[in-house]
Amino acid sequence: MFFNTDFFFSMLRITAPILFATLGAVVGEKAGVSNIGLDGIMMISALFGSLTTYWSGSWLVGLTVAVLIGILVALLMGFFAFNLKTDIILVGIAINMIGSGGTLFLVKVITDLTEGKAMASTTSLITRNLQIPSVQIPILRNIPILGDILSGHCLLTYLAFILVFLVWVLLYRTPLGLNIRSVGENPNAASSVGVSVLKIRYIAIAFGGAMSGFGGAFMSMYYAMGWSQDMVAGRGFIALAAQAMGGGEPFGSMLAALVFGFAQALGIKVSSKGIDSNLVSPIPYLVTILGLVVFAIVARQRVKRQHSAAALKKTAEKNSK
Amino acid sequence: MSNKSLLKLSKRRDLIFTIVRSAAAIAIALLVAMLLIFVSADAGSVSAKLALTADALRQLLIGPLFKNSGAFSVKNFSDVLASMIPIMFTGLATCVMFSANQFNLGAEGGIMLGAFVSAMVAIYVPLPGVLLPVVAVLAAAASVAVMMLIPAVLKAKLGVSEMVNSLMLNYVVMYLIKYLMNSHLADKSKGQIMSYPFQPQSAIPQLIDNGSKLSWGFIIGLVFVVLTALFMYRTRWGYSIRMIGINQPFSMYSGMNVAGMVVLSQVLGGVLAGMGGGIEMLGRYTTFSWSALPGYGWTGITVAILAGNNPAFVPLAAFFMAYLDKGCSLMSTYCGVPSQLIDILQAVIFVFFAAEQFLSKYRQKLVVKAAQEELKQKAAAETAEGSVK
Amino acid sequence: MAEEYVVEMKGITKVYPNGIAANQNVDFSVRKGEIHALMGENGAGKSTLMKMLFGLEQPTSGEIRINGEKVNLSSPSVAISKGIGMVHQHFMLVPSLTVAENMVLGMVPKKSGLFIDFKKAVELTEEYSKKFNLYVDPNAKVMDIPVGMKQKVEILKALVRGAKILILDEPTAVLTTQETTELFKELINLKNQGYTLIFISHKLNEIMEITDRMTILRGGKSMGVHNTADVTPPEISRLMVGRDVVLKVQKEKAQPADEVLRVRDLEFVNEWGKKMLDKVSFSLRKGEILGIAGVEGNGQKELVDMLFHLNTPNAGTVTVNGESILGLSQRQIRSKGVSLVPEDRMIYGIAGAASIQENIISDRCGAKRLNKGPLFDMDAIREETDRLIRDYTVLCKSGAQRVDNLSGGNIQKVVVAREFSNDPCLIIADQPTRGIDVGATEFIRKKLVELSRAGVAVLLVSADLNEVMELSDSLIVMYGGHIAAYFEDTADLNDEIMGEYMLGLKQQTSEEVRRVCHE
Repeated sequence: MFFNTDFFFSMLRITAPILFATLGAVVGEKAGVSNIGLDGIMMISALFGSLTTYWSGSWLVGLTVAVLIGILVALLMGFFAFNLKTDIILVGIAINMIGSGGTLFLVKVITDLTEGKAMASTTSLITRNLQIPSVQIPILRNIPILGDILSGHCLLTYLAFILVFLVWVLLYRTPLGLNIRSVGENPNAASSVGVSVLKIRYIAIAFGGAMSGFGGAFMSMYYAMGWSQDMVAGRGFIALAAQAMGGGEPFGSMLAALVFGFAQALGIKVSSKGIDSNLVSPIPYLVTILGLVVFAIVARQRVKRQHSAAALKKTAEKNSK
Repeated sequence: MSNKSLLKLSKRRDLIFTIVRSAAAIAIALLVAMLLIFVSADAGSVSAKLALTADALRQLLIGPLFKNSGAFSVKNFSDVLASMIPIMFTGLATCVMFSANQFNLGAEGGIMLGAFVSAMVAIYVPLPGVLLPVVAVLAAAASVAVMMLIPAVLKAKLGVSEMVNSLMLNYVVMYLIKYLMNSHLADKSKGQIMSYPFQPQSAIPQLIDNGSKLSWGFIIGLVFVVLTALFMYRTRWGYSIRMIGINQPFSMYSGMNVAGMVVLSQVLGGVLAGMGGGIEMLGRYTTFSWSALPGYGWTGITVAILAGNNPAFVPLAAFFMAYLDKGCSLMSTYCGVPSQLIDILQAVIFVFFAAEQFLSKYRQKLVVKAAQEELKQKAAAETAEGSVK
Repeated sequence: MAEEYVVEMKGITKVYPNGIAANQNVDFSVRKGEIHALMGENGAGKSTLMKMLFGLEQPTSGEIRINGEKVNLSSPSVAISKGIGMVHQHFMLVPSLTVAENMVLGMVPKKSGLFIDFKKAVELTEEYSKKFNLYVDPNAKVMDIPVGMKQKVEILKALVRGAKILILDEPTAVLTTQETTELFKELINLKNQGYTLIFISHKLNEIMEITDRMTILRGGKSMGVHNTADVTPPEISRLMVGRDVVLKVQKEKAQPADEVLRVRDLEFVNEWGKKMLDKVSFSLRKGEILGIAGVEGNGQKELVDMLFHLNTPNAGTVTVNGESILGLSQRQIRSKGVSLVPEDRMIYGIAGAASIQENIISDRCGAKRLNKGPLFDMDAIREETDRLIRDYTVLCKSGAQRVDNLSGGNIQKVVVAREFSNDPCLIIADQPTRGIDVGATEFIRKKLVELSRAGVAVLLVSADLNEVMELSDSLIVMYGGHIAAYFEDTADLNDEIMGEYMLGLKQQTSEEVRRVCHE
């Protein structure tokens, strides 16, 4: 059977890191902050997460460090973007440069100092017992099919999907979320009632950093054993696309992230049947482009329809008077 | 004081500011470099660490020019010039696209696609002599132009972000090339994945035969710097591209074809990136063996930012980046500092160059000072006139 | 007489950094519990005065007292704390949030210390809504509610923050007739509850209907305070739109020839469903200046947008020299000899970061005379630019200077130099002298007359009565999206007549208006 429980299990696993970054992008865009550096932050967090896990012998320490580093880098980006008025896209590009080449420099230097030899990856350091643990969910695990798909995932996979709900609560049920949405939509309105636009933007970009931190930790401490160069492979960018396709809403963007997870899982499945993986690896990226195009067309028609609907309504009202 | 000389004065003021700002950005980057090298230095005592740092910095800063013995190193210098070739092209490509306010980041995939297409032509198309490299490079340019049509047209017609699309295309291009190489085009007799050798007449001749791979591609690159600068500043199309980058409603109202220029700028970016890929491939290699994106696209973005999107400054910016790159690799050879330090330096210089507010207070001071002087001179001129009357 | 003033602004002068004095020694006092009108044409200084009262700007000199206490209104939050609220013309609302959420933004009620207490927010909204008889739906999203309700939300927002003095900036500009009637009832209600209202408007009938007193501004100066009951609409109109200095422009009598621009039954409904152009028809002939007068917001902007394809009409035809130009691109429209001096020169008129030279050639960069093969002929471009800089007396260091380093008047001269010099047969000049110095103004006006006498058709859209009456050979007054009056000859027109048509007190018959079609 092609779409068996394994397939859906791996789809969820593959979706998790994309979903983290997507949630970061969702909150950022809600506050009017377009952070294209999520990919680079994931790389940096992945590196430090795996290193600190190895040093401390505890994945929890590693995870904490990964998230903190993510926040720190994001705040630095905020400083350049908001205070020094650098185009936020360019700041993102710079962070991605550090994410792809700079991390390799860092890993070599750091391992040279601590391990006595420069390593180009940390794959030899992270052993199975240092991985972020997977958990079996009682009761659920015993349900046929569903148990196989939903139980036994990494803690962070569950966290990613729980966070979708939490981000929704944050955005739509808390004062902070209200401020975030106001700042993104009409900063003048927000500041006219005393909401600090700068502060809210810093909070939003820091949240994106934290999410990328989780995503990066997932990559180097669970998905793969250890950090290696370019391991994030554009997941941060795919997250941007998922955010756009999901209309910027937590649940919609989760669905879009799942589409990418599906595409990638499909790729892996197909390549296991003997087809060159290089032929299926580009599928998620192609799906992203297609998704954006479809989203743009749909959005355009929706606007058209709304306009004509509004016009019809207006004439109807006039006629009835 | 005549208006002309006033203009000169304000231009000189701008120049001084640009120089001070650039120097400050570079100084900060070097400071970061020093810190990183110091921390990473493989020595026990602080003084030993300092010595190592000094040595590494020497390699970084003057290694590209001088041998360890102190003599001028032709080889190192020609290495620097040779590695300018691809980043001049991606830098030019980015200049054209960013000038139109199109954040297309596809030069990275573009240069790989261009390299691949030219390699295929060099292997499989039976053409004589000079014709082969010319056709190969043109084919490379055309193929990347077509690739860039995708984000360009989607932006112009549907308003889809060219940035995300071009990034995604980079990955698509890379995997497709890897697939074609793995499954169909690799020379199976070799231990690693590489193509069959190019036909010998495809090679772009070398300027110096010292192994630096400084080919005529360097000269072609300089020619294209001139051509691109001419195009951007001396033709109506380049002018329109710059104007839509500055103020799109103004360009529309003035009667320019805005959507057309959005597409044209990105297609031209594709042509330049593709040529760069082709020239780099035929000037440096004899088989195609790239298995990942080469990074020249990102460096090209840095080059464009350093050059202020002005093609005329691209050689200078490319030289600077190539010099740093060579310095970093020498540092790694002789002092064991990993060469990827370049990526961190690049990012630091990049953000400080792009930061509008960086040293803006200093600029404000310059401007205010100049305005005051201007007023003083005017007053002086008026009293002089008055006394004449 | 112990009059209780809640607001006293004395000797207020505001000079902006660019040297424009928006207010000169203005006194403005408001009694407790009255509705006080602040009237004046565009640019008369009403907004500036109110911005200072709401803490958005600080006066250059003069003092402000609130309830007798001297205050320094350094920011809106200070003004709010002093009990001042402002209902902006462009609403300060977040469209995707609900009414209740907008109400409490920045002062959100919480429950369990973490979450928004929506119930309380809704209750608060309902409480205020009931108390002031301003009906709003607390749970509706702001983007889904009609404009009238949005305005109520804005008023409630100010009230919930403790405002006792409300500034309403042209509150009826966006409302339908019914909504306006409703708003007035609510304002009277607020007044009866002891609130003080400052009502900015230039609609005479509304002022007469609702206000107790009025202050009229003209050219940044106060024209005095009047009891509404004591003045007649013609008097107000004279105070408001009278001309201070009459700049006489020498011009010969026009010799109108063939029809150039022909507009018939043009209609436009904007995105909120408001009809901005209502069957507008007119013809403009070679060699004549046709002025379009009117208080801003009566369809002039929309008309210009239609003529230059910056927007698309719902119905009607527009031809230039017999050929339709609707749906054509700006390049095609320009190729028919149409030029536009745009109202917003910083958005449409120039590319700020480019040089004067680059701004001059934007419409003609493809012209044969400026190109040598594929390349620009830089000498020809420099020559043309230098000639225009000379002819239009643009004060600059050279053509290579960045255009946004110039003063407003010189920037406008650059725009005008470009638009007038490409051999146009029709010039649309939209507020051609707004906000620029006297010298440049005079120069541009003379140029317009000169060109029209040389056979160019000129459509002059201007809210400056002085300008439009002096320059035009004949004149249209627009009111509420249609043509209220047409005057074939401007010679025997006076401010009073104009004011009555501009403010909607009078309307010519359709036969009279139809004369502008010259059929």
